[in-house]
Amino acid sequence: MIAHKKILTDEMVAKIEALAPRYPNRRALTLPALHIVNAELRHVPLDAVVEIAALLGLAPAEVQDTLTFYQFFHQEKPHGKVRAFVCRSVSCALRGGDHLLEHLCRKHGVEPYGTTSDGELTIEPAECLGACDFAPCILANDDLLKNMTPEAAEAELKKPRARAT
Amino acid sequence: MTTASQPVLLEAVGVPDGHTIASYRSRGGYAPLEQVLAGKQPADVIEMVKSSGLRGRGGAGFPTGLKWTFLPKDHPGPIYLCINADESEPGTFNNRILMEDDPHQVLEGIILSSYATRASTAYLYLRYEYPQSWHRLQAAIDEAYAAGYLGKNIRGSGFSLDVYLHRGAAAYICGEETGLIESLEGKRAWPRIKPPFPAIEGLFRKPTVVNNIETMACVAQIARRGVDWFKSIGVPADPNNPRDPGSYGPKLYCLSGHVEKPGCYEAPLGITARQLIDGQGGGVWKGRRAKAVIPGGISMGLMTESELDTPLDFAGPGKVGCLGLGTAAVVVIDDQTSIVDFLHNSCRFFAHESCGQCTPCREGTSWSLRMLERIKAGKGRLRDLDLLAEIGGTMGMMPGSTICGLADGAAWPIKNAIKKFRGEFEDYIKRTNPSGWMVTDPVPALQIVGAH
Amino acid sequence: MPTVIVDGQEIEIGADERLNCIEAARRAGKEIPHYCWHPGLSVVASCRMCLIETGSRDAATGKITMVPKLVPGCQTPVKDGTVIVTESQLVKDSRARVEEALLIDHPIDCPICDKAGECLLQDYHFQHGQAERRADLHPFTSRRRDVGPTVTLFVDRCIMCTRCVRFTREVSGTAELMVTSRGAKEEIDVFPGHPLDNKLSGNVVDLCPVGALGDKDFLYQQRVWFMKREANVCGGCSAGCSIHTEHNQDTIYRLKPRENPHVNGWWICDEGRYGWHHVHDPARIVAAGRRALTGGAFTTVEWHDVVGRLRDDLKSAGRLAVAVSPMLTVEEAWMLCAVARSIDPEAFLAVGHVPRQGADETFPGGFTIRGEKCPNRLGVEAVVALFDPAVRSWDDLVTHVRGGKANAVWITAAYPGPWLDEAAAAAFAGLDCLVVQDLFESPLTALATWQLPAAGFAERAGTWVNVAHRAQSFGQAVRPPAGVWPEGRLFWNMLGRRGLYDPDAVRRQVAESSAALVALAGEIPPHGVDLRIAQLA
Repeated sequence: MIAHKKILTDEMVAKIEALAPRYPNRRALTLPALHIVNAELRHVPLDAVVEIAALLGLAPAEVQDTLTFYQFFHQEKPHGKVRAFVCRSVSCALRGGDHLLEHLCRKHGVEPYGTTSDGELTIEPAECLGACDFAPCILANDDLLKNMTPEAAEAELKKPRARAT
Repeated sequence: MTTASQPVLLEAVGVPDGHTIASYRSRGGYAPLEQVLAGKQPADVIEMVKSSGLRGRGGAGFPTGLKWTFLPKDHPGPIYLCINADESEPGTFNNRILMEDDPHQVLEGIILSSYATRASTAYLYLRYEYPQSWHRLQAAIDEAYAAGYLGKNIRGSGFSLDVYLHRGAAAYICGEETGLIESLEGKRAWPRIKPPFPAIEGLFRKPTVVNNIETMACVAQIARRGVDWFKSIGVPADPNNPRDPGSYGPKLYCLSGHVEKPGCYEAPLGITARQLIDGQGGGVWKGRRAKAVIPGGISMGLMTESELDTPLDFAGPGKVGCLGLGTAAVVVIDDQTSIVDFLHNSCRFFAHESCGQCTPCREGTSWSLRMLERIKAGKGRLRDLDLLAEIGGTMGMMPGSTICGLADGAAWPIKNAIKKFRGEFEDYIKRTNPSGWMVTDPVPALQIVGAH
Repeated sequence: MPTVIVDGQEIEIGADERLNCIEAARRAGKEIPHYCWHPGLSVVASCRMCLIETGSRDAATGKITMVPKLVPGCQTPVKDGTVIVTESQLVKDSRARVEEALLIDHPIDCPICDKAGECLLQDYHFQHGQAERRADLHPFTSRRRDVGPTVTLFVDRCIMCTRCVRFTREVSGTAELMVTSRGAKEEIDVFPGHPLDNKLSGNVVDLCPVGALGDKDFLYQQRVWFMKREANVCGGCSAGCSIHTEHNQDTIYRLKPRENPHVNGWWICDEGRYGWHHVHDPARIVAAGRRALTGGAFTTVEWHDVVGRLRDDLKSAGRLAVAVSPMLTVEEAWMLCAVARSIDPEAFLAVGHVPRQGADETFPGGFTIRGEKCPNRLGVEAVVALFDPAVRSWDDLVTHVRGGKANAVWITAAYPGPWLDEAAAAAFAGLDCLVVQDLFESPLTALATWQLPAAGFAERAGTWVNVAHRAQSFGQAVRPPAGVWPEGRLFWNMLGRRGLYDPDAVRRQVAESSAALVALAGEIPPHGVDLRIAQLA
């Protein structure tokens, strides 16, 4: 049997375990564990799900069930170094949000939820980002980009950006 | 009624370093907590909040103090407080501002509420999309621990409390209280059937109260400024209606969409939509008129221009056929916007966010979206409007057909749009589908792209 | 006694009973349609098919107050004065809408779907649905997904009742099945590399209300409306799970659990569920054969001749020893012992070989698979005790035969597979007369002078007693192949009884002569009878 290389680093495991005293059972660590792995790897591959399940004393199907519910975690490959959530809910849509999303996708040659071939940028529609006072807006990693136009968004998304928390 | 002119909930906005503990203390913060811990019992705090008439600010408007009394007496514990910071209702952003700009106000409210309910742990469930709030809240929590306002034996009172941040992953249904609980427990966020209610069996099957961020801020302010102050603001209970709890206190109104000055504005409960839009909002943008206005987040439905003098208190929007005050997020739709586009946007949102657990919502939201897609693509029929009205009229917790209120939120925009703007829908359908608008047999659906 | 009013009809329920509206309405003969509720699983109330109107009747005034909205019957407990309305227009419209909603995307696979004829979606459509399709038309997909070695999934037929997922989490405790995604895109799936593969897997097919989950063993084998079913008991282990044998023209097609709150609840294990194939194995012994010497060819003996010639052979051989198989019924065991003693009054009677495989295994939901792989050891022991209080075991028999104390040995077996090796069989070499009555050839039949066929479990009629001392009676489901006389018919005739074998008559006779089995005297109810309780009384 070929031993496969562990996906969860000791550091990731330590971070997950550090949260354990906060909850009365291990299952509650599921979402925090997914975030910890995702923050590092920009996705949560199936092998990581197996390791998380083993760590938490759950079946892999139970973790995968939770993971896929959120429609948030990429699994097949990492999302871009910049993950741009473009809001499409009512307040942003009223001020051009759909047009913004469509423009950015066309400009970067990706479908919504797609990643550019150089691995730099993922463009995803988001539902209300809670920044309707600055509509239309984009959440790019940790940065809220306000009052976006297609040109302003273009310029912003070219900038290097710290990884998301 | 006197009205508040100085912001209270928003007092830290614009204040340099207003989010720090030093700034909060300088404004009088944490002194009320110290007084309560030194001299009041949990029951006193419950009584204070009950007397204030505070109603939950998360959307349901349930009297907060009353909700706390549903906890079982003499329970050995643990009892949990969950703070719903999953703010995801389209148009809503006041929780974000409170968390970013005045996290200690929220925190003091949390500590007071935990003391009142005898909660030993408070989990703050924060939506993923608010990273700035995450950083601000964590820093504030760290400061509070360091200052001895959190942890074991707070200020020697014998009361201990831990507050933990728990991060969501972009699912709207995690804002439903039992959906939040299921998510926190590590499962898919499928809301639970009730009974049992969370106060009896909630998080980890223990007694739990779920409260909103703005509600917590109000608790802190009530403790600081008093019950009489709180009750001096807003709309008093109708003396002829013993079941009316009134609409007391200041409220944060989010104004967005087609206005000159979108923003979060603090005003006494009961301000009308027109006052908000023309006053703080600077009027409808570009000199246009409003066609429709969402009164309290998209789930509440639509008011017409002639309904804009409706007071935005807990009772007002219901009188014009909307679901309620909701999150008091007012979204203005101008008269050059197609109501069909609006309804499509709403149906797309709810189809995306339906948790999928119960049949009427899972299939109803999907079916409505398909019909709106087809209507937008110029293949609509008049019959679709009847079908949409039926879906809107039968899906929800209120008729009893679904487990949670997401379905009611999905239904209301459909109901209001079709009822109040039927003419516009009919014109659109007839104009764009001249050969097919009269067909009553089922028609081919379109392929849905990007609904998810 | 608490009274519940169902559509105007008053029914009484037990003071200690905890029923929901579905269970209460059933007592009044009203079936509230439902998909996701199951008494053996947690309540989720998600399908919304069981929505009804409820209310309460004031005990003092008789005034009825109805709840202003529909409520799920599955999550609403009844108490004294509960009013249930199952047929109002509001309820009918709600059901029609749920049906409509479920059919929007459901592939109309009925002509190629196993579930047709026992499908709740079909049944409720005809009973509660509407005739006209109103939703947009679109091409249906009907994908098949492999979820494990024994179960297949037709993904698009699923109605998201989640019974299967809850089963793997709550009853088998194995959690292989999951829901993926959210909203209308949800699907059932397994995690790659972790298939649905536990000892109770097959139960999810029973649970599935539609044709989404399919049994690979049964897939496309038979239309359900051609099958008849017989209430039976599984012969796989000492748990004695109640089952239905479903068959057509003497061929078994599948076994299904039969609800028995005292034994198996609603479930059976896979070993039992799929453990019927041996009945139709072409390698079965199907003729009575006799030979003078071991190693020669068997001569087929007509059954009527077997009765006399077998008795003659055994009598002339001398000292007789008999192994009474724990696969036999109580009735067959008793008749065999009686026949043996009528040939040799001092015949050595022993309980036959008791196959054991592993330890008992209990699952989180409480279901237990027994390591003792025969259905009637306790029954056979109780019968043998009537003839010999020593109740000898198979090992005792082997010692007895090895010690040269028997000239003729009659071994009844009927085990579904190989049960002894050459070394174990060797103890029976060199006897004047060795009768082996079994399903398949073995090292023992190689030494036999008489080779008789045995009955498969579904070919037997009679009573078995399980590990918990519960006696269950069952009838014959399928006839044995090629005119084979099952053990019961042979022994009945060897006792000189007239007419067709009547297991009920033998059972009553056994009950008369046994304090341990006295409960068998009367009618045995479908769930069986606890022998110990009758004894105490």
